[in-house]
Amino acid sequence: MGYFDYITSAFAAVFTLGNLAFIFGGMLMGMVIGCIPGLSVTLGIILFLPLTYGIKDPSTAIISLLAVYVGGMYGGSISAITLNTPGTNSAIATTFDGYPLAKKGRVLQALDTSLFASSFGGIVGALLLLVLAAPIAAFVSKFTSVEYFSMAVLGISLLAGVSGNSLPKGILSGLFGILIACIGVDAVTGVSRFTFGVSILQFGIDMLPAMIALVALKQVVGKLAEFKVNGGKMEDANKIDKKGLSLSEAKSILPATALSTIIASFIGAMPGVGGGVAQFLCYNQAKQLSKHPEKFGKGSLEGIAAAESSNNAVVGSAMIPLMTMGIPGDGVTALLLGAFILHGMQPGPNMFTKQALQAYTIIVGCFVANLFLWPLGKVMTRAVAKVVQVKYTYLAPAIMLFCFAGAFAGTGNFKEMVFCAVLLVFSYLLKIMEIDAIPLLLGLILAKIMETNFVTAMMSYDRDYFIFFKRPISLIILVITVLLVWSMIRINKKVDALNEVQAEEINKMHNDLEAQEAC
Amino acid sequence: MKKTIKIKTNLLAGTVMGLFSVIMLLIMPTQVRLPMWDSGAPSPRIIPGICLVGILICSIILLVQSLVFHKEHIYEFVWENERKELLLIGALVVFVALTKTLGFIPAGILIFCAIQWYEGERKPLIYIYTLAMVVIVYFLFQNVFHVDLPAGILKGII
Repeated sequence: MGYFDYITSAFAAVFTLGNLAFIFGGMLMGMVIGCIPGLSVTLGIILFLPLTYGIKDPSTAIISLLAVYVGGMYGGSISAITLNTPGTNSAIATTFDGYPLAKKGRVLQALDTSLFASSFGGIVGALLLLVLAAPIAAFVSKFTSVEYFSMAVLGISLLAGVSGNSLPKGILSGLFGILIACIGVDAVTGVSRFTFGVSILQFGIDMLPAMIALVALKQVVGKLAEFKVNGGKMEDANKIDKKGLSLSEAKSILPATALSTIIASFIGAMPGVGGGVAQFLCYNQAKQLSKHPEKFGKGSLEGIAAAESSNNAVVGSAMIPLMTMGIPGDGVTALLLGAFILHGMQPGPNMFTKQALQAYTIIVGCFVANLFLWPLGKVMTRAVAKVVQVKYTYLAPAIMLFCFAGAFAGTGNFKEMVFCAVLLVFSYLLKIMEIDAIPLLLGLILAKIMETNFVTAMMSYDRDYFIFFKRPISLIILVITVLLVWSMIRINKKVDALNEVQAEEINKMHNDLEAQEAC
Repeated sequence: MKKTIKIKTNLLAGTVMGLFSVIMLLIMPTQVRLPMWDSGAPSPRIIPGICLVGILICSIILLVQSLVFHKEHIYEFVWENERKELLLIGALVVFVALTKTLGFIPAGILIFCAIQWYEGERKPLIYIYTLAMVVIVYFLFQNVFHVDLPAGILKGII
């Protein structure tokens, strides 16, 4: 089968009643989770993951998780606009103009702008994935176990390098993840490693309880504790009016939307960057090129469009390194990599030869989810926005119960719940030490790939430990690793500084706006 | 005024993880025994060994950053706030322990109702909702996902 045959078959596979139901369900859940401040898209994906166990077709399972990702990215803007609190990190820049516009009583216009830009960015990002995935995968397919090992090193190093506030802590976290994955019986030699005589450690620690404890439960517990600290007070959300985005306004924001989409698609495709960085760069670029830069921070439609198109464009483009090379672009795609593995798929070039139809079905599914974001958002935003006002004590028990039940469902063994509890305690220690858990999770997920390829390389090259530096492509990958980590740290520092200056300016403007209102 | 402890996270992480890696490196020969015969595969100690040495190096870098260059990230530990989070984590640990003995539904009802009480909820509706959520999640997993969560003392009844 050729490329176009696969695409045609993939469209046919996606447009089934079941798949469409999962896409809509996933997007709706993503919107709900994404719009709740403090809960991230990663939590949405982890909550949805156990629901996908019963799905026979792995591509349907992954598409539904991608739908959560797409919906969550847009959902983050709902609370950013109505509450001035971003639902997700990727929606921080949306508060800059979304909230001032909402304060002027034009909530629906702000939400419509966000929806339009999110859909536009998402569709272009997914199209890019559709076009670029196959040629990149074809190039990467020439790699041997030596190059794959180096690629895994690249993946972990990049995420470790850009996560949190310290490079040594990021690397330490990634290495700790690999170490945790070593617990249990070694598949090659049959030797037990770090089991300390505890029988439940013989089978190792699965990635699902780790994901649940270190990301989902940690977030929910933190949020619930914050709720208690605040005395259960809820902020008042702005009510949604009836005047949406007109056609002429949509045309006026098109250049900013298109520009941000292009920049974010490029940034998102670089492993280790993600939507958090893309939004600030795009917002700043749109402001510089706008005919009305003075309106930015005061309710500019272009500002909302720039921020929102960028974070949704990243969804598709971040899937490029994940699907073609098996390297996640950010925390969300790291969890998606885990989901791929749990469903018996190994992202990378082999997926485009051995599981080609499934790979293209996933890509087309991502495109279709972005395509349906606009109609779903138009119908459901008003209802979803009400979740922002639901007391956290209603949401938290349901999420936590689902987390524990989901962890148990992984293998049907009680030990998964025990691991969840232990890792939850451990996550608190990580918090106190300010060590980011995402590189740890990535280490845990990539450890098996790393070790398998390491062992294969050693057996193929007679235990030559320098083979990773002798083979040219592997050496290039390792050099790129060092260069990229170095440059990413520099870029992130610049963006952080830019972000700080912008956030200060915007906060000042917001305060002035509120002071004027009070007068 | 709330009591705040300023934790030097580079120093803490460097010390804790450094000690951890040294201890693990020392006990590795007893915890990862070498195979009885040579299969041609590399030693099972290699990957964990590289990780532990890497953790040790990162810990030393963190300690040098903290003690020599005085470069620190400060975590403000406000006991009043942290206590709440620790209590919630403790409650979830107890929930898991009780699930083993009492089962998912009784443990869920006990712990999550206790959490609601702790959060200051006093209206009966939220307790009814919590109880319903425990039962719904149990039966959702049992009947839709075909996963039998621990029934505990209710075994034979549900």
